[in-house]
Amino acid sequence: MLLICGTVPVDDLPLTAGEVSFNGEHIIVNDRKVPCTQGTAALISAACATAAEAGSRAPHALIVGDNGNGRGSRQIYEYVAGNLPRLDVDHLVLHYMLPVMGLMRKICAAADNCPRRPVLVADAAAMYAAKAAGLAPRFDVFTPDLSELAFLADPEASHPAYVGKHLFGCEIASAPELVRAAYKKGNCARSLLVKGATDYIVDEGEIIGQVTSPDVPGLEAIGGTGDTITGILAALLHSGMTFRDAAFTAAWVNRMAGSCINATPATRIRQVVEAIPKVLGAVIK
Amino acid sequence: MLFKSKNNGFEGGGIILFDTVEDALRAEKALKKENFETKLVAPPPALRKGCDLALEINLVELAGIERALRDGGAQFMEVHPLKGGGDLLEIVKVTDFGTAVMVKAGNMKLTFDKASGSVLNISGGGCPDIPYLHAKMADRPLTELPRPRDVGRTLCALMLDRAFVESLEIWRKENLK
Repeated sequence: MLLICGTVPVDDLPLTAGEVSFNGEHIIVNDRKVPCTQGTAALISAACATAAEAGSRAPHALIVGDNGNGRGSRQIYEYVAGNLPRLDVDHLVLHYMLPVMGLMRKICAAADNCPRRPVLVADAAAMYAAKAAGLAPRFDVFTPDLSELAFLADPEASHPAYVGKHLFGCEIASAPELVRAAYKKGNCARSLLVKGATDYIVDEGEIIGQVTSPDVPGLEAIGGTGDTITGILAALLHSGMTFRDAAFTAAWVNRMAGSCINATPATRIRQVVEAIPKVLGAVIK
Repeated sequence: MLFKSKNNGFEGGGIILFDTVEDALRAEKALKKENFETKLVAPPPALRKGCDLALEINLVELAGIERALRDGGAQFMEVHPLKGGGDLLEIVKVTDFGTAVMVKAGNMKLTFDKASGSVLNISGGGCPDIPYLHAKMADRPLTELPRPRDVGRTLCALMLDRAFVESLEIWRKENLK
């Protein structure tokens, strides 16, 4: 099972778990509809679109409403920590969750107690919690953007808001240097997909590839385009692809989806997701 | 021990320093009332200022914590990360897309339409209040929006606030020409 966990901006949504589908505008879990907007809903939408096209099983989602007060986030941490060993999870994606270091430790401990340890993927604030708690090396994949890579490279920072000024000033060309620093300090997952004007694919500290085209500058402004890359990547990993192939494909498909719809800074993430099946279909065939 | 922790295992990453013990206790009460997880601690020697009592907090919740302290009438000296420097990133980067401008502060990006001044997109970040703020702010004019720091609760919201303030300044400057 591919299990994707994160919060969504729906105040009254209780902790909801189950197989998830995407109808073009909403993700649907247990008859609860959540709009495809920036954040975990975008990640899940992209994962659903990818799994359907790849012919693999639909992802499962564990979602909850949270406006930033952390109550929903804590429910996710507690549920995963308490139930992971009895769930048949091959790939676990942790996403928009208030960083709570102590609770992230519990999730890592639960993963260690699984009969077969799931592949752990973290993005967004779940990645911040993993790094801040010193748990990064226990994860298999992180998907940072450049500012988040600077955060991983800064041994002192507990959140990207506190990254050293010299690191924040870095341009994408400095990514290899930041990757080296992050691995040297033990603040990285085993593999990275660094999202930016150039997407860097990194495995065990070594940059094994870059994706630079098509160049769609507007994608950076669209809320959710980083989330969709992670969603595509997770679904492809779950379909059986190697990290290298999945990361190359995810980075390229996301760019092509943006290119196909002539994405501008005003484009909504739902429009990008809509284009994923067509682009991915051409790759798979 | 006078102030024994009741929060075993709490790792907050940030500390609030106070002038007096009374301020620290008032702040603890104000934060507990709003359900923030806290722990009374002795400030580490390197950060020691004011009194011998400090509050450990989940630093990520800084925007909400500062608001709860203000609302609760609690005085404090400063908030500091337990590791690293104490200053939030101040630098912003501006990208001109022709019809739209993107302002980046830390891990947050806000893009607005040059003609209407409306928010087109908010990207980056990772804390749970960001999708919530995105939904509240999208398609609305910058001039009619509350500041993200007054609505959000996290460090991502504070970075978005930096981008918002800069965006508003750019918008006003361009439209006063």
